[in-house]
Amino acid sequence: MNWSDILTTTSALMQGMGVVLILFFAVLVMSIPLGFLLTLCTRSRFAPLRWIVNAYIYVIRGTPLMLQLFFIYFGLPTLGEPFVTIFFDAMTCALTGFALNYAAYFAEIFRGGLLAIDKGQYEACQVLGLNKWQTTTRVILPQMIRVTLPSITNESITLIKDTALVFSISIPEILHYAKVAVSRTGSVYPYAIAFVVYLVLNTILQFVFKQLEKKTAY
Amino acid sequence: MKELICVEGLKKGFGGQMVLTNVNFSVAQGDVIAVIGPSGAGKSTMLRCLIHLEKVDGGTITVEGKPFVKNGVYESPAQIKQITSRMGMVFQSFNLFPHLSVRKNLTMPAMLANGQTKEQAEKRAEELLAKVGLRDKIDMMPSTLSGGQQQRVAIARALMMDPDIILFDEPTSALDPQLTAEVLEVMRQLAAAKMTMLVVTHEMTFAREAANKILFMCDGEIAEAGDPKQIFSAPKDSRLAEFLRGIK
Repeated sequence: MNWSDILTTTSALMQGMGVVLILFFAVLVMSIPLGFLLTLCTRSRFAPLRWIVNAYIYVIRGTPLMLQLFFIYFGLPTLGEPFVTIFFDAMTCALTGFALNYAAYFAEIFRGGLLAIDKGQYEACQVLGLNKWQTTTRVILPQMIRVTLPSITNESITLIKDTALVFSISIPEILHYAKVAVSRTGSVYPYAIAFVVYLVLNTILQFVFKQLEKKTAY
Repeated sequence: MKELICVEGLKKGFGGQMVLTNVNFSVAQGDVIAVIGPSGAGKSTMLRCLIHLEKVDGGTITVEGKPFVKNGVYESPAQIKQITSRMGMVFQSFNLFPHLSVRKNLTMPAMLANGQTKEQAEKRAEELLAKVGLRDKIDMMPSTLSGGQQQRVAIARALMMDPDIILFDEPTSALDPQLTAEVLEVMRQLAAAKMTMLVVTHEMTFAREAANKILFMCDGEIAEAGDPKQIFSAPKDSRLAEFLRGIK
């Protein structure tokens, strides 16, 4: 193995970087708001909505993400239309599966975040005449985000690593290209490079979230 | 003097346990009323019912001639909000918004809930902070202030909404004696400026010197009401006499 081999393999692995980044950002953008919506539903006064959302969170958290991806990609299209059309593309399946899965986890994180907010904050809002929307967006949400930021970081690290699961529904990402390189070279070092790539991604991620934590500190 | 608040037959229980059995009193404009009594007498609950942080089980609360609950039946949420918006409240634990600067703690609610423009709110915030002696802290975060300073900011925040009356729920109970003194000084200034105040407190010196009327609460009712001189020197109710003996 020489430097040019490493360079060739690394650039081969980089072909999978796009998929990882798209999955990462798209899933975060979709699942964080969806997760917060689910949290609000679990606090709804309308009991059936609470039951449905709690059951959803229970099922999603209690079953493997890979099974959920298989269910969407291989399973749903067997039911015919409209699933055949909707879930024709593997990336659509991956985005759907990941967003639905991560939303359930974020819902639980946000539930914990809301529990951490003092009742006095709601009371102060009420006596000052803020309505529910103003209370939520101006007072509760900013504090909840601050409280949950370490857990969000944790979940994001897991998300980067979980993107490797789309390998199983035939989306070529970093792991796929590493495996191809291993077969081609008969050597283990492409896997070692994959280790480094994931580590670098997560190092950047942790740095960004640390800055965010510092910025939102009070 | 114009009657600001009138409370008749107020009842409130928690899980079958009656906390307020029958509370009756009124507050006139300019009154500084100290509510005293042993722990568990229902003082804080009574105050929280007045500003609709707790729902009453019975009775009538009238604010400036308009009842928002009549014989235990509430008006519409919009009307309750409109009527209770004439009152401000200061909490024992301050309840400042920790993620906002002192300035924003004051201006945000004033702009959102009281319709003040940014310029009006900023100007008023500066005036009120100067009044409570914290003009130089305007851009600080609440966590960097002492408890006494936080409570003075909370008082300024309540004043931002131009309330007709401020309810104080044990405003100095979380503070050491020195910080208590600085908060009480601000409250004395408000009293001197004829701000109407209803103060649940364990500070007997403040009650004696700053209040014009004392309500002694015990066992969920107002056991005795009167001016400070009479209450402290010639109590009629035996429970009040015992309470006063206990704190001496």
